[in-house]
Amino acid sequence: MAPGPTPATRDGTAPPYWLPDFCSAQVLFAVMIVAELLTVVILIAPSDETRAFLPRLTTTSVFVQWLALVSAVCLCKLRPQLERLKPWLGVAAAYVLMLVVTILGSALVFTLDQQLNLNLTLPPQFEARFIGRNTALCALIGAALLRYFYVFEQWRARIRAEGKARFDALQARIRPHFLFNSMNTIASLIPLRPTEAEHAIENLADLFRAALGNDAAQSTLGEELDLVRRYLDIEKLRLGDRLDVKFDVDALPASMALPALLLQPLIENAVYHGIQQLPDGGTVTIDGKRADGRIEIVIRNPRPLEHSRLAGRHGMALANTRARIEYHFGRRGTLDIDAGADFFACTVKIPDESRPDESADR
Amino acid sequence: MKVLIVDDEPLARERLASLLIEAGAEVIGEASDGRAAVEAVAALHPDIVLLDIRMPVMDGLEAARHIANLDSPPAMIFCTAYDEHALAAFDASAIDYLVKPVRLERLRTALERAKRFHTTAIEKVAETASTQRARSHLCARVRGNLVLVPIGDIQYLLAEDKYVVVHTGKGEVLIEEALKTLETEFGERFVRIHRNCLVARDRMSGLVRGADGAIFVKIEGTDATLEISRRNLPALRKLVRTL
Repeated sequence: MAPGPTPATRDGTAPPYWLPDFCSAQVLFAVMIVAELLTVVILIAPSDETRAFLPRLTTTSVFVQWLALVSAVCLCKLRPQLERLKPWLGVAAAYVLMLVVTILGSALVFTLDQQLNLNLTLPPQFEARFIGRNTALCALIGAALLRYFYVFEQWRARIRAEGKARFDALQARIRPHFLFNSMNTIASLIPLRPTEAEHAIENLADLFRAALGNDAAQSTLGEELDLVRRYLDIEKLRLGDRLDVKFDVDALPASMALPALLLQPLIENAVYHGIQQLPDGGTVTIDGKRADGRIEIVIRNPRPLEHSRLAGRHGMALANTRARIEYHFGRRGTLDIDAGADFFACTVKIPDESRPDESADR
Repeated sequence: MKVLIVDDEPLARERLASLLIEAGAEVIGEASDGRAAVEAVAALHPDIVLLDIRMPVMDGLEAARHIANLDSPPAMIFCTAYDEHALAAFDASAIDYLVKPVRLERLRTALERAKRFHTTAIEKVAETASTQRARSHLCARVRGNLVLVPIGDIQYLLAEDKYVVVHTGKGEVLIEEALKTLETEFGERFVRIHRNCLVARDRMSGLVRGADGAIFVKIEGTDATLEISRRNLPALRKLVRTL
């Protein structure tokens, strides 16, 4: 619909443009429509003209369209310069530019008309009236049009900023609990098993690199599964033999693009609300398979029977993951929940976007 | 100074133990969940309990409530990995808490100050912090011994004089609590069938009519039949139909 945003606006940091991209087909088309409407308005207004409607429509249309398009092309070419000015100065400059184009164009057309004796404009003595009338029309319509573009561009900038904010809010987050628990685990390990402490720090660094990084940076399914393994390695240190993990993901295409930390929050939920709440722990299973052009990953964990008070954060992580899946895959991505009395399973189904030549190497 | 360590993570317990020894305290025991902690306190009589908050079976806040109700309860210090709002809401003068990883100096001051905090304050704080949620266990005493009854095991609660008799499949214990407050706390789990009786919804197996026309509730797996008062009957009929 809208012309493609320039890189500067996509991240929402650039100030809103007040001038649209006049070189884009959409804006040019809008300009032509407005010019044609203006022509019709001019023609149906009461006047002392004696010529027939259709010929007048044709000549006036050509004239008005020509002026409008010349103005548009000038604005398009001068846009980089105009953008550099202060907004009010830029608007004034654009406005003056349009008036100058109209004055020069009118003068040129009037002179040509007189020289060629076509009688399409006005008798020779009315040159000033012809130019003046056109300029006045251009001044009124141009002001309205610039105002409209300004408001429209601001509105679009706001929509973009809101979209960005929503997207940022969806960014995957690791629970602060996890960070501090891990730090505590590492502090315990340093005097006892320094090598394991070192390994835990490496894993933790990888996880937070992913969590603090830019969500837009695409990761791959293989990298995501590696992150999940690192996360579970840390939790295994913390929970000891209470946490058992069963991975069955060999069928998944490791090199398929996938947003970072799409699966990890689900695994974190499984540990936080499942394993950690059970005195004897249990097994988190992660099963992945490919079927019918879809990838299906099932994460399953046991949980205590008395789980009524575990809502809040749980639901939030699920809603967040679901929104991110929808954001990235549209309707073709889903997150289904199967909550039993003593187990919890969530199934992520996303389209299989791996290229056919890719081997399932994981 | 005898200290009991309560945490569900073995490594966390290990670290606390070595810090406590360094701080000159004596570690007399460890527990890995709230329930085990309450039992350990009753058995070992520590001076101070270091209580983790998030634990399976029974969390640290609920354990603190039960411990504070014991005779001559120990001082309690909460340990948590992350400032949860439960703790943020605490009045700093009422209790003390440590954040993990615990610093040795901080642990020393906490041990010194622990004596100054009254257990009644802790009980109040723990109660406020956990009022939004029902307890997971009821605490009773049988011949001087502490008994923790998981809420899930309870079939029905019967008020008798100033006591409430807790009936589980395995037996019955007395607790000194009012049926009314139990009903408020566990309203999701129990339904009132009579002025003096609450029954676990999932333990009701059906309604029977007695010889004199009164209606009784049958309890799953037992011969017990409990009379339903006229006032509670319509609501109960509806409930039984949906079970």
